[in-house]
Amino acid sequence: MTRTSARALAVTRPVIQVLIVLNVLYGLVLGALLCFSFFIEGWPERPLGFDLVSKHPQLSLGLRSIVLIGVTGAVIVHTILRRLLAIIDTVRGGDPFILDNARRLDAIAWSVLALEVLRLIVAAIAAAVWEPGRIDAFSFAPWLAVLLLFVLAGVFTHGARLRDDLAGTV
Amino acid sequence: MAIVVHLDEQLHARRMTLTDLAARIDITVANLSILKTGKAKAIRFSTLEAICAVLECQPGDLLAFDPALPPGE
Repeated sequence: MTRTSARALAVTRPVIQVLIVLNVLYGLVLGALLCFSFFIEGWPERPLGFDLVSKHPQLSLGLRSIVLIGVTGAVIVHTILRRLLAIIDTVRGGDPFILDNARRLDAIAWSVLALEVLRLIVAAIAAAVWEPGRIDAFSFAPWLAVLLLFVLAGVFTHGARLRDDLAGTV
Repeated sequence: MAIVVHLDEQLHARRMTLTDLAARIDITVANLSILKTGKAKAIRFSTLEAICAVLECQPGDLLAFDPALPPGE
């Protein structure tokens, strides 16, 4: 391991821990907002300060759906960060090529895929509520990242098997 | 594992310890112990060559196949 990557690894752990805390706070705030929205009279036009509901009648439902998807996204991001932290711990322990890490990467790939699907759902809701027929949320990079993560999970599975073989070789 | 390692017998016949052999073929005692106790999954030709050279024996003197034993993974 080079000095730069060792430093990067040392920094990554606290950064991810901070991100986990921030993400939990984000999820809690979104959940609280969603709950409060049912008890605030004249939501959402009163808190916003202007009337959008008369122009877009499905606005309240759309906003609540998007917030609910946001909470779901926060839960998914939490699982991604926890798994990433576990992978980093195995790298720090000097033993990253294990089947557990391959499974973690596979799960992360599925989670990123789920996040992308959620993003498309949010765009579809926004399009249905505000601008019918206009969905421009597709981005190529996240889907490429999903593919790369699946490939990486495959590489880790193969690497873990090779390492397992080598462990019993004299 | 149906492969039986006779390293202990070969060492005993030459009054040599595992530590002596490990020092002469430059392999750790821990690894040789894995081989001796039959826990190894594979053996490198280079290791086999080095052991045969020091013990002046053939690979067949060190390894045997016993069909009565259960097969390994």
